[in-house]
Parts: sequence; structure tokens; C-alpha cells
Amino acid sequence: MALDIVLAPLALEPKTFNVGDKVRVTVSLRYVVGVNTTVKIYAGPYYTNIFGKHMVTPCVGQADVSLTAASVPTSQTASVDFILVPKANGGIENGTYGLRVWIEGTNAVAEQDSVLIVTGNPSGGGDVFTAMMPMLMMLMMMGMVMPMVSEGMAEGE
Amino acid sequence: MELKTLALDLGTFRVLQNGFTVQEYAAGWYIDPQTGQRVFYDPNTQKFYTLAGGVYIPLGYMNPAPKQVTLAPGDKLRITMSFKYSGPAISSAVCYYSIGVYGIWGFDEKMTGQNAKSIPQYTTPTTVTDSYTFTLPTNVGNDWDDIYCKIYGGSPSVPQNLFGYEQALLIVGKDPTISEFTISDFAKV
Repeated sequence: MALDIVLAPLALEPKTFNVGDKVRVTVSLRYVVGVNTTVKIYAGPYYTNIFGKHMVTPCVGQADVSLTAASVPTSQTASVDFILVPKANGGIENGTYGLRVWIEGTNAVAEQDSVLIVTGNPSGGGDVFTAMMPMLMMLMMMGMVMPMVSEGMAEGE
Repeated sequence: MELKTLALDLGTFRVLQNGFTVQEYAAGWYIDPQTGQRVFYDPNTQKFYTLAGGVYIPLGYMNPAPKQVTLAPGDKLRITMSFKYSGPAISSAVCYYSIGVYGIWGFDEKMTGQNAKSIPQYTTPTTVTDSYTFTLPTNVGNDWDDIYCKIYGGSPSVPQNLFGYEQALLIVGKDPTISEFTISDFAKV
């Protein structure tokens, strides 16, 4: 049986969040199912590059939704939370992201580009240190090698 | 649970013996009034054939369903077959019913049932019906949407006649069918 998904035009306004914020997504759907069942609903931010769309996996949240048996299309709402894990903890960078919600085991997917504006990751500190690490390592190595070279030259004289 | 019915018409047939040689069609080409397809009737086999790739092949027994019946696990589906019969009395012909998945490899039978049917003698084509009731199990698949039935055997034996409908059932099974899935809102909590 074909799974007939109709996506209504989305009109979500972009919103700004800080890393560490918990975001609650509310969805609406219609369903038919023969027996009482529970489905898993997922939500999270995604980014787009030349290879396509990619979920920011550490930030994806999930929730269980109970569906009561219904032989005619029945309306239902559900919500799912996810946390914008900071980049320092392996999470999301500052920037603009899309929002995707889907139901496991079905073709039900809803998404909209560029609606999550993420800020709050420190722009300095650790990042600058990380960038300078190679240069510092090189200076330390030169510091160890130069005295040996100088000694060799002195013995040659 | 609700009892729903679906009817199939097997057309007209006779027993496989001499003595009742009512010619329904002359040998030759006909136009199928439903599909517009050119078909050839062979009175010897009493079957219609269509020409494909230079080979005459029997006309398919599966047809688009005239209606779709919505069913859930536990529901009962009654399939009724009807046909016109003229000939001697027949005892214990097999009226066979199946629900399953029809594809390029044929009909994958998921549920079957049968009745032994005795038919009295008729000298003119007379409508005969038979029916079987299935109860859908809880593990019914969403793709169990095709049905077919056939009649064969008995004494004296009748030729096998098949007829089926594709996508006759809308199974509201254990897996949900989701539609109109949209994001209503999102906000910090």
C-alpha cells in the first residue's frame, strides 16, 4: 500500500537559539492504523553542503507517540524536544540550520531550511589555541634542536 | 468487527464433457468492451487470448478492482463469486478463494479458503453463487490488497476458471499510514 504523504507548505519563521537551549517541535499529522501502536518521532537541525543535507546527530531528539487504532484518517499532534549541544561538547557550531522532523519506519518527513539560527559558541579561546598548536609545536622543536646544532658548530671550531 | 463483502464474477462456463455444446462464442477476434483490447477466442480451450510478441497468451485473470474495501485486523471479509452455469449436475466442485500479493512473479497467496460446491443440472445458463469469509489476522500486511478466486474439479469435472482483482483491499494494518505530516511550531522551552 502506498504511503501517501502530503506536505503542506511550511511557513515557519526563523528563530534564534543559544547553544544549550532545549527546542520543542510540535507536529500535526493524520494517520490510520489497525492496532494500537507506538511510533518514534525524531527532530533535529540539519545543514546543507555540496553532498546534500546532513543531520547534526548529537542534537537529534526523539519521543514516543501513541497511536490509537483508527480505520479512518485521524488527526493527532505530537511534540519532540532536542537540545542544541555546544560545539565544545561535540555538538553544533554557530550558524543557520534547517529543521527536520520524521517518524521512524514511515515516509513521514517534514523539514524547512534556514529556520534555526544558532549562536552562543565562544568564538575565541579554545579555537585560537587549537589553531596555534602546530606553530607552538614547531617552536618547541626548534628550541630543542637549535642548542644541539649550536653545540656541534662550537665543537667544529 | 465489521463484515465486508466483495463480489467477483467468473463469467460463464460448462463441464468438461460432451453433450452440452452450447457455443458461447465463435472462434475469432473480439474487442474487449472494458479495455478496448483485441482478443482472440479459441472455442476448443474456451479461453480468450491476446497477441504479445508474436505469441498468443491467455488473457490475464487479474483485473482492476471496481471498488476498494477498507479492512483492519480482526475484520471479516466475505468474498462472493458468481458465474453462469449450464450442464449436468456437479458434485463437490472446488470454489477456491485467496487474499495475497499479486506481482510480476504471480500471486503470492497469504490466506486461502475453499468450499465444496454442488451444482444442480441446468439446461440454460443460470447464475450460481458461492462465498467464503476470511477473518484478517493481527499480522496482516499492508500489501495484502489483492484477491482472486477460482472454481475447478468436481464430478463431472469443470475446467479451472480464475478471476481476481488487484488492489481490492485497503488494509489498515499494524503499521500506521501517516499523512499531512507538518511542523506546526518550534520554540525554546
